Amino acid sequence: MTTRREFIQTVGATGAALAGLSACGGGGKGSSGGGGTTQPPIPIPSAPILVIVNIDGGYDWLNVMPPNAGTNLSVYQTKRATLGITDTSLLTDLGNGAALNNDFTGMDILNAQGRVAWIPGIGMPNPNLSHFTAQDLWGQGAATPAGTGWLGRFADAAFSPAGDVLRGLTVTSDLILMLKGASRSFVSIPSAGGYVFPAYLFSGTALPDAALLETGWGSALGAASPDAGYQAAAQAGKLFFDAQNNAAFGAGGSIAARTPTVPYPGDAAYPIKRADNGGNLTGSLSRQFKLIAQMIAAGLPAQIYFSRLGGWDTHSNQAVDHPNLQRALGGSIKAFYDDLATITTATGVAQDRVMILAYSEFGRRVQENNGGTDHGTAGLSFCVGKAVKGGMYGGYPDLSNLDGNGNMKFTTDFRSFYATVLDRWLGQPTATTNTLLGSNYARLAFL
Amino acid sequence: MAVLTAISSWTLADVQHFARRAGFGLTPEAAAGLQTLAPAAAIDAWIDGTGAAYDATAFTAALATADVVTEPLVTANASDAGSVDVPAVAAPHAFLVEGTDAWRNSLNTAQALCAWRMQHNPYPFQERMALFWHNLFATGWHKVDNAALMLKQYQLFRAQGLARFDDLLAAVSKDPAMCIWLDSVLNNASGTNIPNENYAREAMELYSLGADNGYNQTDITQLARALSGWSFTFAEADYIANPASPSQKRVANAHFKVYDGSSISPDTRLWWGGTGTTSYTMHGTGSIALFGQTFDITSTANGWAKGENALRAIVSVRGAQCAQFLAKRLLTHFVTTGYSTQDLSDVAAMIQASAFDLRAVMKTLLKSQYFFDVANHFALAEGPVSWLVRAARMLCPALTAGAAQTPKGYPAWRLVTSNATTFDQMGMSLLDPSGPNGWKEHAAWLNSNTMRYRTKVAAALAMNETRGYNGTTYPLFPTFVTTDWFPAAPATAQAVYDRLAALLQPGPMPAGVPAGWLAALWPATFTWDAASQAKARELAFLILCSPAGQLY
Repeated sequence: MTTRREFIQTVGATGAALAGLSACGGGGKGSSGGGGTTQPPIPIPSAPILVIVNIDGGYDWLNVMPPNAGTNLSVYQTKRATLGITDTSLLTDLGNGAALNNDFTGMDILNAQGRVAWIPGIGMPNPNLSHFTAQDLWGQGAATPAGTGWLGRFADAAFSPAGDVLRGLTVTSDLILMLKGASRSFVSIPSAGGYVFPAYLFSGTALPDAALLETGWGSALGAASPDAGYQAAAQAGKLFFDAQNNAAFGAGGSIAARTPTVPYPGDAAYPIKRADNGGNLTGSLSRQFKLIAQMIAAGLPAQIYFSRLGGWDTHSNQAVDHPNLQRALGGSIKAFYDDLATITTATGVAQDRVMILAYSEFGRRVQENNGGTDHGTAGLSFCVGKAVKGGMYGGYPDLSNLDGNGNMKFTTDFRSFYATVLDRWLGQPTATTNTLLGSNYARLAFL
Repeated sequence: MAVLTAISSWTLADVQHFARRAGFGLTPEAAAGLQTLAPAAAIDAWIDGTGAAYDATAFTAALATADVVTEPLVTANASDAGSVDVPAVAAPHAFLVEGTDAWRNSLNTAQALCAWRMQHNPYPFQERMALFWHNLFATGWHKVDNAALMLKQYQLFRAQGLARFDDLLAAVSKDPAMCIWLDSVLNNASGTNIPNENYAREAMELYSLGADNGYNQTDITQLARALSGWSFTFAEADYIANPASPSQKRVANAHFKVYDGSSISPDTRLWWGGTGTTSYTMHGTGSIALFGQTFDITSTANGWAKGENALRAIVSVRGAQCAQFLAKRLLTHFVTTGYSTQDLSDVAAMIQASAFDLRAVMKTLLKSQYFFDVANHFALAEGPVSWLVRAARMLCPALTAGAAQTPKGYPAWRLVTSNATTFDQMGMSLLDPSGPNGWKEHAAWLNSNTMRYRTKVAAALAMNETRGYNGTTYPLFPTFVTTDWFPAAPATAQAVYDRLAALLQPGPMPAGVPAGWLAALWPATFTWDAASQAKARELAFLILCSPAGQLY
């Protein structure tokens, strides 16, 4: 599988040039703590796992990775008079005129190790600043077939319709467009315990006959009703049954318990606290990561996991909320990454097999207002993993050259990001990747 | 083409189709009673909440025993020339927050109260419309962090859900929960301050026009200026330093006064300690350009608050786009997702012709031949809350004044909603949608996890699950097979199925499925004994969980 990189087709000029500028960079200089020696990437493993993190709400990545030099810095200082992060003691220099906010806990360490690929300025043409339009477009990745997402179409192509029920999982209780395929959707498993039928609420004494209901579901699937709701119910019910019947789940439909090897944000023992009042950070993303680690340790055959941290729609109170969100996001990723090092599966150490992909539907307006920031355009995506070639890919947006609404112009099409991941991490042939995304997008060089 | 002329007669299937969509279904006996009435008059009465069918005695009595605090009516205060009172929730069941009694601010309790009302309100259309507006003007407890404000907003939907749409939009724009949810409380656009666009954007994108439908970024900024300072404040004694800060967001007494820019006298009460700004001084002045027209936002107009003329321009100037937006939402919730472009256009034209009078719109739509087209029967997947409410209405005994089923009305629902956030796991955390776009409907309600939780609550309902609470054991949903489900003993297994299907009203079942269930449950001679009654519970569970059982 190491030859996957040789499947490289069209490397975009921009991505290649900037990757060259920062190959394995980003670490080293200005690193603020615990970094150690920058390590080279490892070969892409034979059973790679992709963990998606949806930074939900459109995050102000300009305050996560603010400019620290040149014209961009002066524009930033002017437009972010009260919210801007310009105190260099609060920042880790990344080179290329950008710095990392130290509230993005642990990401400086991962960056220093060369484990983070940053794609600032990622976006799409003609954004309308709507959360929902943008989320749908990030989900779709291509216009056809309607109602499907890029990972759903990947599942259609790569997963067996008859089996593979646990290859694509979301630990959220919903199922967003990104995960919907034409014939195969992801399974939603938001908790490790009791994934079992019929799952009484409290005190059942006589169990309904699972076989009878399962028979009913099977007949329903075969009935080929034209009704979309009926089909959705039949498919969802069948997925649920197939998942809970899967041998990967232990007795009683519960995944074997596992204690994390490190404290995660939200845990009492986690050393980083809220910036405003010293309380515990939200553990919402941590809980999802712990569950994913548990499922990986249990040997579930999942190839893709989806998770989410919301709360980033900071129209107000950003000075209080944003540092805490960054601490929760960065801290969760770092804790998860460390936790994965202690999990060994039949196909290797989990830390070698996992790549984390983070994205948000957009960034926020450069100009602040009233203690917050309004909806913007280009975002910051990043990948974390041992196979990642750390550094910055794509151009940092020019803050002195904004669009008519005062928003950044995107520098990397988000589908280039997807194409890179589909080709070089998920092992899709180039032609398949291009079909899944509807076109041939330039690949980035971080894998 | 959507034929919007009214039907002149209806079948029993039509009656149940109507009752499922405009309420939470009817028992076979009640449906037969309704069928004897002329459809137009019966539907008018249903929508108006009038007529002999609506005996609210038991419901009112049960609400009166609910453990909630009463609130005196809020009256206008001459010294608060700049404030507009939020209509007080009518006594005696206002639901207020008290710091000393934290459960009153519990999302779980508030959810339970809403669900209980849906189950027992004799005027179900009121609850159905409130649910519809809750999904459209989706405001979330997780940011508002105040159950009293959420319930106040929900009551607004009950009270004004059939008003004119522009009046409803204006009322929602002044609603305290909405002010917090979309940051109106911090929209300061006086002088050179830059407006906070959040509410203005969603007012158009999510609440009235739809994305990319008749407005642009400039319109958003301009409307945000018109609505700047539209915030709320409290009586002097209830001062809070910063309503946007959850740690300080404690309301001692719900005397909310929404400031909507209509005063010419400064409101002297500081509400935002960080800046020392008052809501009065946050309001922008001058005129704005919106939708190509100019609106004065300094003066009152037509008796409206400053800037309200601009807000109402969404409906008056962009009426065609607004009608189209509403038509989509109404069709998706009440009729079908399979509407054609022409259907949409026809309904939108009707909305405009009805001058956005929602009562008239709903009466026309729900009486129409288009609505009753058999192709639209069972054409939608039901949301989890109303799916469960409908089943509870069919299988649980009706509320009676003399026999409170659970103490003070709704703790059983509280037990259900509190269990590992069951509503949330079914895909619908009532009063707390994850974002301002609410929940997607129809097939989007259904995934492997939501179906898993539907089987859980279906089991609780059908199998008569119990739980201890404060030393007493309660059935979560009290059900009685022989007295309520089968007042006449069934003679055959098929009769058991027929009766349960009449109660639960699943969509069309695949051939052979019910027969297969019956053959497995009753392989030998049928006798209506205790064992068969237990099997009837299991059959009810199977129907509720089946794909056909998700449709309505």
